[in-house]
Formats: sequence, C-alpha cells, structure tokens
Amino acid sequence: MGHGVTRQRGSARHVPSRFASTALALALVSGACGDGGTIGLAGIVREPYPDVSTVALPDESRGGQSFTTAAREEGLLMVYFGYTACPDICPTTLADLRRAMQALGDDADRIEVAMITVDPFRDTPEILTSYVQAFFADGHALRTDDQAALDLAAKAFGAAYEVTMTADGEIEVAHTAVLSVVDSSGRILVQWPFGMTVEDMQNDIEFLLDRGV
Amino acid sequence: MKRALALIAAMAIGISACSDDGSGGIEIDDPWARTSATVQNAGAAYMTITAGDTADALVGVSVDTSVAGMAQLHESTMGADGMMMMNAVPSIEVPANASVSLEPGGYHVMLMSLAEPLVAGAEFDLTLEFEGAGDVVVTVTVRDA
Repeated sequence: MGHGVTRQRGSARHVPSRFASTALALALVSGACGDGGTIGLAGIVREPYPDVSTVALPDESRGGQSFTTAAREEGLLMVYFGYTACPDICPTTLADLRRAMQALGDDADRIEVAMITVDPFRDTPEILTSYVQAFFADGHALRTDDQAALDLAAKAFGAAYEVTMTADGEIEVAHTAVLSVVDSSGRILVQWPFGMTVEDMQNDIEFLLDRGV
Repeated sequence: MKRALALIAAMAIGISACSDDGSGGIEIDDPWARTSATVQNAGAAYMTITAGDTADALVGVSVDTSVAGMAQLHESTMGADGMMMMNAVPSIEVPANASVSLEPGGYHVMLMSLAEPLVAGAEFDLTLEFEGAGDVVVTVTVRDA
C-alpha cells in the first residue's frame, strides 16, 4: 500500500557526505585556532551558521498551524529529524536530550524541542504529537505530506533520509540522526551527531545560554 | 540486587542447557529496555553478553506476546553518507572469553508491536537462543536510560 511513500528518495540524499567532511574540517579548524566564539562547544559548528529561518512546517501539536524553525527570544530550539517507529536511535537521542534538559534546572524553560518526521505516512498527526510530547510536554510535532517541503527543510538542516520498502513489505527508514540547536534568528549554532553524551549536551546548552542567544 | 539475581538465574539456565560441564557458559549482564513513549510501537532491549572458554553465537530471540508481537536481533549502523540505518542480523558472534555489548546505536533486540508501553521499573522475560548454550532466559528491567 501507499506507493507514494515506498520511494521517498529525498533530493537532499547526497547532502550529508559533503556536510560531514565540511563539518569535520570546520571542527578541526575551530579546534586548532581556538575561535573564541565556538570554543567550549562539544558539538559540530558550521560557519557561517546555516540559516533555517525560512523553514516553516505544520505543527500538529498546535492544530497544524505553521511553525518556523527559530527559537523564542533568548531561547534555543532543538530540531530533530526522525520517526516514531524507530526503536533505538531516536528514543536514545530524545531521552538523552530530556536528561540534559532536566539537569539545566530553570534554564530548561528557555529550550523548545521540535521533531520533524521523515515518515509522515506512518506518523499520523496524533501519533507524532503523542510521541514528541511523551518526551517533552510542550514539544512541537512537525509533519507534512508535501514531499518537496520536507526535502527543502532537510536540505536547510543538512539532514537526509530515505524511506524504502523491503521485498517482504517492511518499511525501512534511514536518516541522519543529528540534533540541531537553533537560535531565535533561525541560525544553527551547533549540531550534535548521534552519541553525544548527556553532559556534553548540557554543557553546550549552558555555554550558549551564558554567551547570550 | 534484583539484577544480580536475574543474572544468576540466567546463568543457571544457561549452564543447565549446556551439554558439557558449563565452562563454555554464557553470562548476560545488565539486561535492560528503554521506556517507550505511549504510542511508540517498537522498543529496544540491551545487555552485555560474555562467553566462557567456548565461543558462542546469539542466533535468535523471542518474547511472550503479552510483551511484544515479535523480537528480532538488529544492528544500527552509520552509512558512509552519515545516515543511521537499522538492519536485522542473523546472529551476533561472541568470541571465547570475550564480551559483546548490545547498546544504543549498535546491536539491540528490537521489540516490534509492543502490547503495552514499556514503563520504568517493569520487568519481562526475554529468551535468548544461543548456538552452543541453547536457550537462556533473562529478566529485562525497563528504565529511562
């Protein structure tokens, strides 16, 4: 069923390899010269900061109203591309982020979280909203059936995904498992690849909030 | 303490399943599963497996349908393009006198079609099928991380 979703080969398919090597180079450079703006961050900093302020998707946790991927004033927005049928990577990342936010104390109020589903076929508005809000009470559930809009969003974030159906009818999803930390101007300040520790997430958030966002 | 008891129970079952004196026994440490979001239909269980003097291989896993519709051995891997993907694996080799970890981002037991959400503090049994040691039942504890 659903021929439309069995081959969601996004146009952003080839972005990450380029992104990965660029990001690595940048990380090495900023580590070497001790750039005062980014030193102290455990995640990957891409400069100039990627602009995601043009990305706006329906927020199913707010009745489908358009949500622009930018933080509130003096806050940070965490954006994650994933899917709810993901048993290992997605819940590991989201649970670790939740632990990092719990460790922040009152500053956690300045953090918002948005998950963008790469599997809108299975992730209905209700399922996605319940899933995100099981981790974060006020979490944003971003979902669109518009393939082009999702691809544009993925490209802006340097994210990629691929949804395929196996011969025996199982849906398989591959995706970049990266958390992006966005400021109120809609700039990605830092990105965390899979495996970032809770402590590193917490330290990066505190560093950015202290620096002023 | 509960974990230690489960471990001992698992070892006892594992050893009793062995045809030899048990020196090739399998040891399972810290079997746990992550809490699942209410609507999440898939879960994952993790543990560390240690083999004795004889190498062994985990070749299958099963769980009661009151927990999940199906359990499979899976591995999350990162592709050359940086994308994370997940694949079923036929077996997980455990070399002699060595340990293999099932952990987030790597090998895991995927629990499909969860009957109920996995709630912190809950426990359920998982039957691990080893090529040499036979069936080993472990009690998995559900926790956040």
